Amino acid sequence: MSVSTFRGIETTLRGLLAQQRSLDVSGHNIANANTVGYTRQRAELAASRPLDIGPQGLLGSGVDLTNFVRVRDDFIDVQLRAQTLLKGAADAREDGLAQVELVLNEPSERGLSTQISRYFAAWQDLAGAPENMATRQALVESARGMAEGFANLAGQLDTIRTQTAGAVTNTVDEANSLGRDLLALNEAIKAAQAVGHEPNDLKDQRDVVLDKLGVIGSVGVKDDDGDGAVTVTVNGVTLIDGTTLRTLSESGGLLSNDAPTPESATLTPELGKLGGLVELRDRTLPGYRASLDALAGTLIAQTNAIHGGGTDVNGVVRPGGYGLDGVGGRPFFSGTDAASIAVAALPEQVAAASATGKPGDPSNAQLIAAIRTDATLAPLAGATIADAYAQLVTKIGSDSREAQRAAENGKVLSDVLENRRQSVSGVSIDEEMTNLVRFQRGYQASARALNAMDEMIDLLINRTGRVGL
Amino acid sequence: MSGRITDGMTARLVLSDIQSVAERMSRSQERMSSGKQLTRPSDDPFATSRALMYREELAANVQYQRNAEDASSWQSVTDTALGQIGDLVQRARELVVRGANDTLDATGRAAIAGELDQITEAMKGIGNTQYAGRYVFSGSATQTEPYATGGADGYAGNGDLIEREIGRGVRIAVNVTGDTVLGDGSSGLIGAMRTAAANLRVGGDMNALRTTDLRAITTAQDALSTTRAAVGARANRLDAAADRLSQMEGAATQLLSNTEDADFAETLIDYSMQSSAYQAALKSGANLIQPSLMDFLR
Repeated sequence: MSVSTFRGIETTLRGLLAQQRSLDVSGHNIANANTVGYTRQRAELAASRPLDIGPQGLLGSGVDLTNFVRVRDDFIDVQLRAQTLLKGAADAREDGLAQVELVLNEPSERGLSTQISRYFAAWQDLAGAPENMATRQALVESARGMAEGFANLAGQLDTIRTQTAGAVTNTVDEANSLGRDLLALNEAIKAAQAVGHEPNDLKDQRDVVLDKLGVIGSVGVKDDDGDGAVTVTVNGVTLIDGTTLRTLSESGGLLSNDAPTPESATLTPELGKLGGLVELRDRTLPGYRASLDALAGTLIAQTNAIHGGGTDVNGVVRPGGYGLDGVGGRPFFSGTDAASIAVAALPEQVAAASATGKPGDPSNAQLIAAIRTDATLAPLAGATIADAYAQLVTKIGSDSREAQRAAENGKVLSDVLENRRQSVSGVSIDEEMTNLVRFQRGYQASARALNAMDEMIDLLINRTGRVGL
Repeated sequence: MSGRITDGMTARLVLSDIQSVAERMSRSQERMSSGKQLTRPSDDPFATSRALMYREELAANVQYQRNAEDASSWQSVTDTALGQIGDLVQRARELVVRGANDTLDATGRAAIAGELDQITEAMKGIGNTQYAGRYVFSGSATQTEPYATGGADGYAGNGDLIEREIGRGVRIAVNVTGDTVLGDGSSGLIGAMRTAAANLRVGGDMNALRTTDLRAITTAQDALSTTRAAVGARANRLDAAADRLSQMEGAATQLLSNTEDADFAETLIDYSMQSSAYQAALKSGANLIQPSLMDFLR
């Protein structure tokens, strides 16, 4: 079988075009070297179908550009999202707990511990001069200061909790908004694939959105029907079903969607930013608040029982004391918890004495002052008031430290994985420069080959058969 | 890590290194400027709880010291008053001895009786001694004058002891009640003085004056010395307690400082090390980012 004279031109043309496309791809890579989420592309070249020329065998026909591919390792994506999930949860906790530490203001001269200490010192002072109105006034002021300290801390914890609840709502909104982006990208990718294109850059954009979603919750991505439109789940709850958005909502720690048969999942603490925020809102912050309330409640109940008589926190019936005016049976504090604690007694009503008509008797004031060192108060399980408060501060400190560590670890691990992803998918300028040189040379060589063909044909057409002319 | 190093990676790496060094440097700076090792509980939760405990201990200690000082002042006021009463009793005893002497006539004895009554009133006056607005011999009825000078001899206070806490669970009574020192109405020292004065006057029982009255005054004098010795012992105990408390305060302050305060030398060295690491990171970053193949291709 003979081969066309012009076949070589066709072969070299393929070479020229292939080198040119490869150069284009390098140009595209260089242009996107700093684009977030960009995956370097490569023009996939393959030797084109050879021509069967009979007994001599197969004649090569040059090169074909088969595809533009994204150089990407999907497994790294899965690993990275598992890490950003944990990091998202730890970051959310770290932020919230840092705020708690800020309002706690410990250890310092201005924290609640100092105010509690001053309160008991004021009772001791009163025990030193129970008939002195100035001392009584000072006690009432210290008690007010402490009550305000409790109320302020409780209020601040509530504020942080409200902010956290707001952040949960915002995060769910963000997930839905990312869902809408995914929907648009899904549709565009599906349309492109339907006409046989490979929409690399759209897929990059979709991966960026999925990465963002991966901070919020555990992302599952599937393309069951292979049409390019993926199904996306957040913590197992479907957000995108092909080209349908299932809007997410959160209520009581449960994430649900609005599918005809709604799906839902419990948000556990490790499940991304959303899980971390919900943990903070529903368990961590209410826990701190409850400890603070227990502390304030014990202080109120014990002080009042000794002050005005009644059953104390250990079930012991106390006779109560008497004020300067000889009247007994009055409470010192009103309220029941950290938010409602307030001083009810006026200076002259403070019951320092154990009986009427004994203005110099400090015995009841001493009993109240002794609450400071009492480690048998039933609700505090073997701790004094100050110890119980120190325990709360330590708990907050350790929780915060743990969250900081987890966030640091998450950062290190996701950095490592991000680096691995960059190592595979990132653009290396040096590499692209090398490729430019390579493809340029390839192009030049192909052109030279074309030139040779041309000269050959020139020889054939213009010189052949002119012997003797 | 695989072999392929891209520009994005280099930039990220340099940036993250510089940031982490800068963060450590800012922490050191915070420690230096605040002088505190602990600025928030998460810096070291365990040390924070210890710091809070030391603070609490320190606050309680300062309070105990204040209580001990107050109790000490109370003792010196009491001691002075008891000393004055002692002098008066001594004088009274001499007068009774002189009055019991047969050489004196009725007028002379009446004069002595008058002086004895004056001394009794002076004792009652001392019994009304006040400290910081409180009657020290009145028991817990500190706003009530224990004796009515120029009136009846009854003791108007009560027998309550007033205590001060000078250590965890350590209490010490600070007062002496008037009835144990001067007596109440016809009993005790005042009673003995009044009886002696009555016996010195016309129709008095001279025999009783020499025997029972003199004995009663001597007994009261002994009791007074015993009380004074007890007050002195109490004052010594308070001084010892104050010494101990102040030593404990020093120790607790030291512990708190060790836990809470930054070690300046260490922090400074940390800071200068971090500062050089920071400069090194910047320099190597600058060198790493600069060259590319572009610089060498024509």
